[in-house]
Amino acid sequence: MGGEGWLFLFAVLAAAGLLFTMVFFIIMFSDLECDYINPIDLCNKLNNFVLPEVAFHGFLTTLFLLSGQWIAFLINAPLLAFNVNKVMNKTHLYDATEIFRTLSAHKKECFIKLGFYLVCFFYYLYRMILALISEE
Amino acid sequence: MAQQLPPGWTAQWDPNANRWSFTDTTTGQVTWDPPVSPAAGFVAPGASSPPLQQSPPPGSALAPAAGSRRRQYAAAQATAYYGDAASSNGYVAPAPGAPVAPGVAAPAQLFTPGLAEDPNAAYFSPAGGAAPGYAQPGQPQPPYGQSAYGAPTGQPQMGALANQFGQMGLGQKSFAQSVNLIGGPVNVNELQRDPPPIHLPPNATFTQHPKANAHHSFKRSTLNAVPTSQSLINKYKLPLALIITPYRSIEEGEEPIPVVTDTVIARCRRCRTYINPYVTFLEGGTRWKCCMCGLTNEVPQLFDWDQATNSPANRFDRPELNHSVVEFVAPSEYMVRPPQPPVYTFLIDVSYAGVQSGMVATAARTILESLDRIPNEDGRTKVCIIAVDYALHFFSLAPGATDPTMLVVSDLDDPFLPTPSDLLVNLSEARGAIENLLSGLSDMFQSSTGPESAMGSALKAALQLISPFGGKIMVLTASLPNVGQGALKNREDPKILGTPKESSLLQAGGSGFYKNYAIDCSRAQISVDMFLFGQGYQDVATLMVLPKYTSGQTYFYPSFTAARTEDALKFAHEFSEVLASPIALEAVMRVRASRGIRMSEYHGNFFVRSTDLLAMPAVPIDQSYAVEIQIEDPLTQPFVVFQTAVLHTTCYGERRIRVITLALPTTSSPSEIYGSADEVAIATLLANKAVERSQSAKLEDARDALVNKTVDILGTYKATMTSGGGASPQLNVADNLKHLPLLVLGLLKHVGIRQSAQIPPDLRAYAHCLLTTLPSQALIPYIHPNFYGLHNMPSEAGTVGERGIILPPALNLTSERLERHGLYIIEDGQNIFLWLGRDAVPQLVLDVFNLPSSAELKSGKTSLPLLENSFSQRVNAVINKIRESRRGPYRAHVYVVKEDGIGADASLRSWALSMLIEDRFEVGMSYVQFVQMLRDKVNSGSYS
Repeated sequence: MGGEGWLFLFAVLAAAGLLFTMVFFIIMFSDLECDYINPIDLCNKLNNFVLPEVAFHGFLTTLFLLSGQWIAFLINAPLLAFNVNKVMNKTHLYDATEIFRTLSAHKKECFIKLGFYLVCFFYYLYRMILALISEE
Repeated sequence: MAQQLPPGWTAQWDPNANRWSFTDTTTGQVTWDPPVSPAAGFVAPGASSPPLQQSPPPGSALAPAAGSRRRQYAAAQATAYYGDAASSNGYVAPAPGAPVAPGVAAPAQLFTPGLAEDPNAAYFSPAGGAAPGYAQPGQPQPPYGQSAYGAPTGQPQMGALANQFGQMGLGQKSFAQSVNLIGGPVNVNELQRDPPPIHLPPNATFTQHPKANAHHSFKRSTLNAVPTSQSLINKYKLPLALIITPYRSIEEGEEPIPVVTDTVIARCRRCRTYINPYVTFLEGGTRWKCCMCGLTNEVPQLFDWDQATNSPANRFDRPELNHSVVEFVAPSEYMVRPPQPPVYTFLIDVSYAGVQSGMVATAARTILESLDRIPNEDGRTKVCIIAVDYALHFFSLAPGATDPTMLVVSDLDDPFLPTPSDLLVNLSEARGAIENLLSGLSDMFQSSTGPESAMGSALKAALQLISPFGGKIMVLTASLPNVGQGALKNREDPKILGTPKESSLLQAGGSGFYKNYAIDCSRAQISVDMFLFGQGYQDVATLMVLPKYTSGQTYFYPSFTAARTEDALKFAHEFSEVLASPIALEAVMRVRASRGIRMSEYHGNFFVRSTDLLAMPAVPIDQSYAVEIQIEDPLTQPFVVFQTAVLHTTCYGERRIRVITLALPTTSSPSEIYGSADEVAIATLLANKAVERSQSAKLEDARDALVNKTVDILGTYKATMTSGGGASPQLNVADNLKHLPLLVLGLLKHVGIRQSAQIPPDLRAYAHCLLTTLPSQALIPYIHPNFYGLHNMPSEAGTVGERGIILPPALNLTSERLERHGLYIIEDGQNIFLWLGRDAVPQLVLDVFNLPSSAELKSGKTSLPLLENSFSQRVNAVINKIRESRRGPYRAHVYVVKEDGIGADASLRSWALSMLIEDRFEVGMSYVQFVQMLRDKVNSGSYS
């Protein structure tokens, strides 16, 4: 298995990880709506995952850039820019005092990201298989 | 409620005035005072007596067994009849409780063609003077609103001395009556009229009690008839929201809120609604049907049992079935822990700025003098005082000891408590030490020279200290917290004022320290009050975050110097009122509503803990909250019920639930929706939304949103309610909404929202916190100041009338009303401006200020002397009345403003003129221009 194969194998696993993170976020938000968790605990919990998620996604995108996978890089670049912008503006963390006002926006964002990671997951899988086949 | 009356007298509850009236059945004499003092009798004109005499007796006196005899509508009918007769005769009934019934106005009144034909318009001519027949003196003193800004003039053709007299009535409705806004000023004296009446269907409730529906000072809806679906709300553009003031002050003479003491609390099993006057009893009274979700519940066994006397009782005497505002004493199931003691922690800034401005001395003296007023009936109240400069100075106040021991902690990054006990002490036990500490506090730090203030670290330490109990932290600071945790930088930048970036100064800075701290406080049931005394920049926007999320309040005294008596007096008064006011601790508030209705957004000072639960560590008195409502499923029921429940611990150690129930009819008729809209509630909601918008987006966006909302309302009104399509020279709006453009203009020109590059961010931020917390009664003058002419006030103004001091009639807020020789008051509840014309006669100056001529009069903050002449006494009486009549602890400053002022006086004059909102000011439009702009936008927009 060559470099490309390894890269996309890693990407598939990464996408799966990010996918689960998003599912976790969405479950937590629905818990909040049903009053199973209070907003302070929710924000404390989720804020632990926000930066790792951004960093992990950034790392993956950088890997694509360094290995010259232009299409994969371009797919991920907009989300990376979006994330970087949020971190620069310091709006990436969830704010317990405003969470109910912004809940629908957060949920929407999570669903879009979920869909994105899902598409990415299958794309990486396809590329991985392609790489494995072309090697043989 | 059993009143001892002489034979022949009967007592009636007058819902219009919210007080008892007493009638001598032999002579027809009606009085507000109990007949034991016969001198105070007041003979009402005949028109008013019949409805009064037929009005149902209130309280436990009523409600015998059950059944149909309770449904007597004669009262409302009679009112309607007499009210109508009175108005069509052009006769203004000035008697107490002689309401001109709205909604039954003669057909001729349905369309009022422009205010120019208003016979009362003559009254507004600059000539001023006493208008004959001015209806003020006879008006009853309502507990809310009216007294604040002059009595309502009886306006026959407006027909709208709205009252809730007929609310149990024959199901008559309020329909929109169009008035034209173009071509004349609106009558500002009508701003304080009651909201449109609530016309519930006749069988909505079994009780005839006049307080079966919440008074608008507790809870008012923007629409007193709820549209049956969300699409109707979207179509007619009127917002649907509740303005709730659960802890409004109860005035002297007002009946206290009834308390259910037997801990029999009947609640719906499914939706947890508390039993209220709008439920129905089934199966011979053994079960009750919830008015919200329709579930049938069992009536508790002890519901018909008087536990005090151990005898059967009549359930229809129970307060919760007669009163819309009741308090239940909660049993232990409603407690997480035993009721906490009230805890007061004072963090006093003793840095150079604090000591030099005299803040420390004034604060210490005020606390000392207020020690007896702090709620401490059961002797459990705990107190702690921490002085803060570059270090934290704790005081160990051992019980019994007379001298405090000071303990200094200078580790600001990890503040610790220097001793495990004696820092937070029982007020009664350590009284001696506390008194000694307070009297010596300012001397102790007299030599303080450092500019550092470690307030952030002090807050952390205070949280550590009182988190086992919860309670109140009162921060008094004259300098920016600039060392230790939560240190702030001066971010004021005059260059960005007036630009879109300005809103960044109105948002909380400080890298999240204050927000996180507020969340920790909310968890620990701690509420923070901020008293800010900035000589320079104080960063109100950041510091007010603490009160905002912990349901406290911010008080701001810009450039405070205790050397100026007025400053010291204002602060001492407000601080002492705050200390003395009873607080509700460890509270949660929930608003429930009939099926199909959802609370969508909350505005005010609290922390939203779950989708419908507001956490309020301490509910201050007279703070208002706005709740926006969405209708998720179309409403099929004839009326809907909104119930607010506040579970709290009183400062006397009792767990209680305050329940406020409001029932509103539903409708799908546009005329009724418009006709039942409450302009004051709408303005209160818009103020909240505008402030939120200016913090989250730009100030300009907030102003645009205000204008667009008004245009939307007027445009849809035009399309639905008037026949005129296309361009029209008129701008019509329902009579009950005619002040809305004026109030919106007031908001647009308000110091918190106005376009200007000169307003310091601190002043804006403080205005924001007032705009979002003041109850409507104080908010309306705050956005639409009151303007009175004093030199030509009617002879009875300033004297004691039937309902206290009589105020002069309010004038429209325009400088056209200013005469060169006149003396005027412009006041918004926070400041009172005494405007002296340039040609004021020396006698006037002598009479009021005791000075030979206006040249010797200094403008600025002043205390008006009380002189031995009737004019001075009347002016003082008017000012005192203005100060007393508003809810809240605020004490307005009096400023003397001279028309011919120069230099510093000119800026004061310009400040006073900025309150005349009907004039052009800087880039702000005049009222006439504004209304024309609205009309043009309405004409050019397409509405359906």
